[in-house]
Amino acid sequence: MSPTRRDAAIGLAGLLVLCAVPGVASDYIVGVGITAFTFTIAAVALNLVYGYVGLLSFAQLAFWGIGGYCAALWVMDAGGSFWMGLLLAAALNALLALAVGWPALRLQRDSFVIVTLSFALLTFLIARDWVGLTRGPLGLPGLPSPTLFGTKLASTASIYYLALAFLAGALLVVYAIVTSRIGRTLRAIRQNEPLATAHGVAPTPCKLFAFAVGAALTGVAGGIQVFYLKIVDPSILDFYYIQAWLIMVIIGGAGTFWGPVIAGLVMSALPEALRFSNELRMVIYGAILIVAVLALPQGVAGWLRERRIARLRDTTA
Amino acid sequence: MHDVLLSVRDLAKSYQGVHAVDGVSFDVGAREIVGIIGPNGSGKSTTVDCITGFQRPDRGDVHLAGTRLSGRAPWQVARAGLMRTFQTVRVYDHLTLEENLLAGAAQFDDAGWLDALLRTPRLRRAEAQALARADDLVALTGLTRYRALPVGILSYGQKKLVALASALMSKPRLVVLDEPVAGVNPTRIREIERALLALRDQGETFLVIEHNMEFIMNVCDRVIVFDQGRKLAEGTPREVHADPRVLEAYVGTHP
Repeated sequence: MSPTRRDAAIGLAGLLVLCAVPGVASDYIVGVGITAFTFTIAAVALNLVYGYVGLLSFAQLAFWGIGGYCAALWVMDAGGSFWMGLLLAAALNALLALAVGWPALRLQRDSFVIVTLSFALLTFLIARDWVGLTRGPLGLPGLPSPTLFGTKLASTASIYYLALAFLAGALLVVYAIVTSRIGRTLRAIRQNEPLATAHGVAPTPCKLFAFAVGAALTGVAGGIQVFYLKIVDPSILDFYYIQAWLIMVIIGGAGTFWGPVIAGLVMSALPEALRFSNELRMVIYGAILIVAVLALPQGVAGWLRERRIARLRDTTA
Repeated sequence: MHDVLLSVRDLAKSYQGVHAVDGVSFDVGAREIVGIIGPNGSGKSTTVDCITGFQRPDRGDVHLAGTRLSGRAPWQVARAGLMRTFQTVRVYDHLTLEENLLAGAAQFDDAGWLDALLRTPRLRRAEAQALARADDLVALTGLTRYRALPVGILSYGQKKLVALASALMSKPRLVVLDEPVAGVNPTRIREIERALLALRDQGETFLVIEHNMEFIMNVCDRVIVFDQGRKLAEGTPREVHADPRVLEAYVGTHP
C-alpha cells in the first residue's frame, strides 16, 4: 500500500469512529470532543510551523485569540455570518502573520521566539484594555449558534460535526503541503538551513508561507472554539492553550504528520479520562507528560520512526 | 585554459582588522578542475564564502559567466549556477538519500508553488526528470542500496558523496568543493577522484579547496596557492609542487 493510500485509510477510519461518538456518548463528552478538535487543528498548525520548519512560535496563541475575536465581532458588531467570520479570521491572521513574520524572520531564531511571544502578550493587552474594540475583560458573551442553510446549529452534536469537518479540512491542507515537495523543502530548511540556501532555496518565503498557513488554520480553530463556548473574552489568550498545543506536538512527534493529530485528540481527552480521581488528575497528567518526554524525546511518532530506521539499517548493512 | 567561467577580481575581506583575504584575483575556465591550497588561515575558506554569498566581501568582484555574483545572497548565487559543498559535511540527516538529491534540484525547474501543491503535470514532469538525474548520481556514488534510507545513518565519507551528488543535481555551471576528501578513507578518496575526473570530462567545472596534496596532484588541471590572504603562486600541479615559495609557505624554510 502506498503511503498516501495508507494515510487516507487511517484518516477515513478515524473520521468514521469520530462520527459515531455523538450517537453513543453524553453531551458532555461530545463537548470535550469539540475542544479536542479545535485544539488538534491548532496543534497541527503549530506542528507545521514548529515541527516542519523549526520556528518556535508563540504567536499561535495570538492567532487563536484573534480568530476568536474576529469571528465574534463580525457576527455581533457587523451582523455578518459565522462562516464569513471564520473566513475573515483566516485571512486577517494570514496577513498578520506576513506582517509580523517578515521582520521577525530577519532576526536570529531566538529573537523570532521573543517577537512572537511579545506579539501574543500584545494581543492579550489589546483584548483586555482596548475596551472600545474588544469590550475589555467582559468580552462578548451570548454568541449565537451558527446557521447552515437556514438551520440553526444549536445542539452540541451539530457543533461537534462542524468542528470535525474543519479538522478534516485542516488535516487535508497540511497533508497536501507536507507531502508535496514544498514540505520536503520545509524539512530541509529545518534540518540544515545553510545547505538549503546553498541549494538555491530562499528560506524566508518558505517560512512565511508555513507561518501564514499555520496562522490561518489556528484562527479558524479559535473562531469555532468561541462559538462553541458562546463567549469570547481575554481568557482565550491564556498561556494554557499554547502550552497544551506544544505538549501535543512534542509528545506526538514534532515534524511527523499523525503524531500531533493523535496526541492532540488523546491528550484533550486524557484529563477527562482521569476524572476518576479529581484531586490527583492533573498530577497524574503531569506525571504522564514527564515520563513521555523522558522516555520518548522525539515523541511517539519519532520513536516509531527511529525503530523503523534501525530495522532498515540492520537489513541493508 | 578554456573560456573563463568564474572570474574573481581583487577580492578582500577582513575581520576586525585582520586581512583574511587581501586582494585575490583568479579565473576558473570551463571544464577545468582548479585547486586552491595553502596553510591554515591563508584565506581559502573565506574566499569560498565570499564567492558563494555566505560572506560579504569588503571589496572585489566575482562574476560567473558574465553574471555578477558579489553582493548576492547564497540562494541567488546557487540559482545563478554556482553550487558548493561545505568543509564540515552538510546533508539533510533525516531525509532519505533520494530526498537529499531531489532537494538539490527542486529550485531549478519550471514548476512553482501551485504546481507543487496541486501536483500538476508540469510538476510530475519536473520530478520525473529529477528522479532520472538522481538515478545517475546515486549510481555514481555507489550508494544505491541506501537510496530510501535517511542519510543520517551513513558514514562521514558516504555523506561527503551525498553532499557532492546533491550539489550536482541541478547541473550547475560550477561546483565549489570545500575540502571534499578531508576525513575520508583512502579507498573512497580514489573513488571521488575518479568521479570528479569523469564529471569534468562530461563538461562539469570544479573549484576545489583541499589539504590532501595527493588528491590535488591527481585531479587538478591548475592549482592556486594561497598564503596570508594573497595568491602566492599559480600553475599546473607539477609546477606548483616544484615552486620553492610554496614549500616555504607550508614549512617555513628560508633557502
